[in-house]
Amino acid sequence: MSNAGTEFLLNAEKLHKLYPDGQVRALNGVSFGVKAAEYVAITGPSGCGKSTLLNLLGALDRPDEGEVYFKGEPLSTLRNLDAFRARQIGFVFQSFYLLPSLTARENVQIPMFEGPPRSLRERVQKADELLEVVGMAHRAGHRPGKLSVGERQRVALARSLANDPQLLLADEPTGNLDSDNAEHVLNLLTRLQRERGLTLIVVTHSNEVAERADRVVRMKDGRVVEDRTTAAAK
Amino acid sequence: MHFISFILKNLTRRPVRTALTVLGLAVAIGTMIALLGMSHNFEASLRESFEKRGVDLVIVAGGAPDQLSSELDESLLDQVRLMPEVEALDAALVDLTEMYKREPRDANDIPPSMQVIVQAWLPENFGYDDLDIIAGRALNASDAGHHRAMLGKTMAENLKKTTGDTITILQQPFEVVGVYKSSNVFENGGVITLLKDYQELSGRKDVVTGFSIRVRKTSGNDEADIEAVRQKILALKDRHGKPARLSVESPQNYLDKAGHLLITKAMAWMVSVIAIIIGVISMLNTMVMSVLERTHEIGILRAVGWTRGRVIRMILGESAFLGLFSAVAGAIGAIAVTYVLAQMPKVNGFIEGGIALSVIVQGVLIAVVIGILGGAYPAIRAARLLPTEAIRHE
Repeated sequence: MSNAGTEFLLNAEKLHKLYPDGQVRALNGVSFGVKAAEYVAITGPSGCGKSTLLNLLGALDRPDEGEVYFKGEPLSTLRNLDAFRARQIGFVFQSFYLLPSLTARENVQIPMFEGPPRSLRERVQKADELLEVVGMAHRAGHRPGKLSVGERQRVALARSLANDPQLLLADEPTGNLDSDNAEHVLNLLTRLQRERGLTLIVVTHSNEVAERADRVVRMKDGRVVEDRTTAAAK
Repeated sequence: MHFISFILKNLTRRPVRTALTVLGLAVAIGTMIALLGMSHNFEASLRESFEKRGVDLVIVAGGAPDQLSSELDESLLDQVRLMPEVEALDAALVDLTEMYKREPRDANDIPPSMQVIVQAWLPENFGYDDLDIIAGRALNASDAGHHRAMLGKTMAENLKKTTGDTITILQQPFEVVGVYKSSNVFENGGVITLLKDYQELSGRKDVVTGFSIRVRKTSGNDEADIEAVRQKILALKDRHGKPARLSVESPQNYLDKAGHLLITKAMAWMVSVIAIIIGVISMLNTMVMSVLERTHEIGILRAVGWTRGRVIRMILGESAFLGLFSAVAGAIGAIAVTYVLAQMPKVNGFIEGGIALSVIVQGVLIAVVIGILGGAYPAIRAARLLPTEAIRHE
């Protein structure tokens, strides 16, 4: 575990991943580490492998070669990746992916079924607390269809925090939002990352989003071509 | 939110599909419950009748599946009567025969007829003690030679006959002297007349189809007393000195082997199995559709940490609930259908309204198993989805 020391919360080492057709390399030897409570933006043109990298970092998929380490432990050796994902990682998606039949409060509770044991009352209480944090307490009883896109993303953000993860992975979190809502969600993400000491990795096309991060990792053709500290970190 | 609440919400998302699936499966389950319920009622009715009359042994011709296909020499009854261990004897000639639905208007009038179970009894049969005479009186020895009969309650209602009226059996008029109610559904839908009259009329002189006996218990060991009499009856010889070849069984054993009950049960199960197979296929179709539609959503659940096991439990939970709802609807439908059938003249007397709780419980369990079987493949398929592929699925 050469590069897998405890200096990093998350560490990717020589990741390779072929697209399902087996012809194109989505990732071609990507290595980089993320420290605890760090805010990293991954940028690059479409098809450069950003989302594939995020999937590997989030244990949603396995690399063809290479290894991802979490607190120095290789994910390939974890017996229960589902439990790892449920308890250590929060996901925010571009399209929110809320369940349409559930209210905002119920959507936030979904990851809690696999999180630390909580009673029904505790689950509801936790969901309400998180909705309060993202400013959605007043809409807790509404289904996604009755919420604006900005509100949906805030509910999705509350859901990602349901099991108090250490790592938050966001794939184009403002990609489907207008500028006002994007600004709102971005501010929320930044505030939560700082207040909760979260490690935040955001995949984005947006320079504005990227420049708010501590570091920007730029990718091209499945490789990391730039890894720099931003002005926001200084 | 409880996990079960989530499962139920998934079912209410597609109310029409859920309702149609429940309806389809309810028809299958209802058919099964109704048929098994009727079969159960037949047997329960006969068992109750034997119990009420205190019957210890039922005797029919060896190899005959039931009384309708049995034929015994009446002289055997005299040998049995002479046995000191036999407390009482009840003999009958049971026949399925043609009876007019109304009386002929004149000599050229042939009224519509129906098949009726006629029981020709001895005047001293102990079976009379169990009948509840609701009009008129019971038959007795003085009725011999007068072509008199008693009608079961259901039969009397169907024919709209009562005491003093005339019925026609085998083209011969019989005077109705009484109307009775029995614990035996077949008796309620049938006719009782005297043995000698019916033997003569049907050309079956000295023939009975079977008899039952009460054993005098003296040793303190009832089973041993009954078995001793059973062996003695099995050893009886006919009037030509040859072994009588009788089937001598306890009421339960007789019911277990009774041909008409076996056929009823077999038919009920055969139709039920077909209904179950249709139910499983219907459930499979619904759940496969449901999983395909929700591939993307299942990917999200897997992404936020749901295990394969929880996804399987979710899908199986949905299909089990569909089975349960279908069972409730099917049971209600089956009870309603048997109640309505029991009121219809064509089948009245052969079908008893109401379904035993044990049959309903059996139906509910089978429905839940159908649900789980029908949901198993879609559940496994859903659990195998990779989160990234499922999320990409549109």
